[in-house]
Amino acid sequence: MNSRWLAERAAQLKRRPRLLGLVAAAILVAGGASLVAGQRGVSQPIAFNHRKHTQDLQLDCEFCHQYVRTGAHSGLPSLEVCAMCHQARQGTSREAERVTAFVEQGRPLVFAKLFQLPAHVFYTHRRHVGIAQLECRNCHGDIALTTRPPRRPLVRVGMRACLNCHRRTGQTTDCVACHR
Amino acid sequence: MPRWGMVIDLDRCTGCAACEVACKSENNVATASPDQAAMGRAISWMKVMTEVHGEFPDNRLRFVPRPCMHCDNPPCVKVCPVAATYISPEGIVGQIYPRCIGCRYCANACPYTVKYFNWYEPTWPASERAHLNPDVSVRPKGVIEKCTFCHHRLQKAREDARAEGRELRESDYQPACAEVCPTQAIVFGDLDNVRHRVNELRHDPRAMRLMEDLGTAPKVYYLTPRQ
Repeated sequence: MNSRWLAERAAQLKRRPRLLGLVAAAILVAGGASLVAGQRGVSQPIAFNHRKHTQDLQLDCEFCHQYVRTGAHSGLPSLEVCAMCHQARQGTSREAERVTAFVEQGRPLVFAKLFQLPAHVFYTHRRHVGIAQLECRNCHGDIALTTRPPRRPLVRVGMRACLNCHRRTGQTTDCVACHR
Repeated sequence: MPRWGMVIDLDRCTGCAACEVACKSENNVATASPDQAAMGRAISWMKVMTEVHGEFPDNRLRFVPRPCMHCDNPPCVKVCPVAATYISPEGIVGQIYPRCIGCRYCANACPYTVKYFNWYEPTWPASERAHLNPDVSVRPKGVIEKCTFCHHRLQKAREDARAEGRELRESDYQPACAEVCPTQAIVFGDLDNVRHRVNELRHDPRAMRLMEDLGTAPKVYYLTPRQ
């Protein structure tokens, strides 16, 4: 009897890793699927080419992000801004054609926000770009050089990044200066 | 560096509670249900306390508006285990909501009972939801909140002043309660600045502070009523 119990136990132990493996694999697959879902990030209605506009055409960021020096939010371009140039067909790319189609049909073009500011943080572009004359690149990375709209921010801006910069430049690090 | 403070003239206060309403509306303070209020869980950063003197018919009602005292020696800051509440260099006792763990030590330490715990997720009637102030974050359930002297107004006022290349003026930064008071019983400004009215008023012989003997050094002064 003893030996039979031993044999069963040995078989159980042998089987267990396989079971565990199955469970682990299931978790991995599920987790992987959710990760992939999370990785989709922000998608834009048009695959806007920042490099084309800022490097090749030498447009200023302010041309499309109109309120970057004066407002809390920099603003995303409306269809009217695109229509300034894309009224007629520009270039040969498929995306440029699509923009012209948007303009011709008068369909609203709504770009999605890539950077989301937490509700408890007071931040304005006017203070940082308008008054302090910071470069967009400081917080947004090399977004001006991208050829496709990134699905995730190129730079992760957290409180640590804010504080590091504030300390380096001798700005206030008082909590209520930025928290609200 | 300014030291922000307030002077409340009790002779001028009519108890209209406009300050209370303005405060709630400015700072996105949710309204409590009657049940919640009965349990003492209603939140009111600014509260007009009433005091009855004498017996009917020779009685008199007196009003004492009570915001956070923004003590120079705040007992709430001493007990906070996570530095969620702290005193800024300008004397504003701030509450950093994402940091707060909701232990309620500060609410118990405060002798003026001005710290409120969010027992519930804040809710508003549908008609009011669109009117929330975007400059003030809505506090989640489980954190402490309190009067901040409307410091979000200071953030904006300071930025405006810098953008226009000038100094911050007294009128640039006024909390909602002071702004709305119809009898101008609430005066706000820099206590150390001789050009601000609060500096003059706090040296008035009628000036006193609540529970001064505790050593909390409040920055809210009251002008006692003349008899």
